[in-house]
Amino acid sequence: MTKKEETMDRERFAYLLDAYGADFRRWPAQARAQAAAFAAQDAEAAALIGEARKLDAVLDGARDEAGPSADLAARILAAAPRAQRPAFDRRAMLALAACAVFGVLIGYGGGMLAPAPAEDDSYFSMAFEAPSFEDEG
Amino acid sequence: MIDPDAELVRSAGAGDTRAAEALVRRHLPKMVGVARRMLSDGAEAEDVAQEVFLRVWREAPRWKPGQAKFETWMHRVALNLCYDRLRRRRERPDPDAGLMVADTRPLASEEWLARQRAARVNAALAQLPERQRAAIALVHFDEMSNIAAAEILEISVEALESLLARGRRALKAALADVAQDLMGGPEGGP
Repeated sequence: MTKKEETMDRERFAYLLDAYGADFRRWPAQARAQAAAFAAQDAEAAALIGEARKLDAVLDGARDEAGPSADLAARILAAAPRAQRPAFDRRAMLALAACAVFGVLIGYGGGMLAPAPAEDDSYFSMAFEAPSFEDEG
Repeated sequence: MIDPDAELVRSAGAGDTRAAEALVRRHLPKMVGVARRMLSDGAEAEDVAQEVFLRVWREAPRWKPGQAKFETWMHRVALNLCYDRLRRRRERPDPDAGLMVADTRPLASEEWLARQRAARVNAALAQLPERQRAAIALVHFDEMSNIAAAEILEISVEALESLLARGRRALKAALADVAQDLMGGPEGGP
């Protein structure tokens, strides 16, 4: 909001014209109707507008209508965030890891709980028993 | 305050490529346009626009609508990147800058005249202080409302009007002959 917007006199009209140019569409919304009414009834307004319009026309002549180059949008979009597929992958990885841990635990725990085999090492002691030489000689 | 981009930004941040495309379609030409006005260099302007969008992609996943609209934030990022580049240019002037402006075709076609006028305008714009140039880029060329432009520049509307008025007065003085040539009729032509 500007200090000078309450009434539209020549000073305020020239002030806004200086800032925004001759096209009232660029003016503050609340000043447009007042500006148009003032321009219609003030003798000097047309000359002031004419001066501002010259600069507008010069500036508009330099308006660059060429858009961005063809591949710029593609380059920008190539860097855009991608949907997070890892949300599923992470769950799958966690499930796999849980299965692996569970499998190890079952394997280890099962081994611990299984009845120990009877300790029959007679074959061992027999194998290493000192040979008897009674029959020899 | 309703931000027309809020939903697109949220979706783009979540990886929705269509939302990202819509944001690019909506804002890329404006980003390139304002950077061109500020830098008078098309290639550099596109670099700035690309950098703006890289920041958009970085911020989008955690963007929360706040006081400033998304478009306002984007313009601020673009202008700050331009200010940085202009500062670097001042610190390390490019000896080749401006050598590509002149077009030496012998025939004074309408197109040639228009290009010459545009080059003069761009040169005059480049002579303006950065803030005046930014104000004119936003209000005249981007046709933004005074309130939106003041918000981007983080100044009051009165301060914006002062920047605009000083900028336009300087342009009017620098381009008086171009205006005469353009508006003065056939006798004012070269």
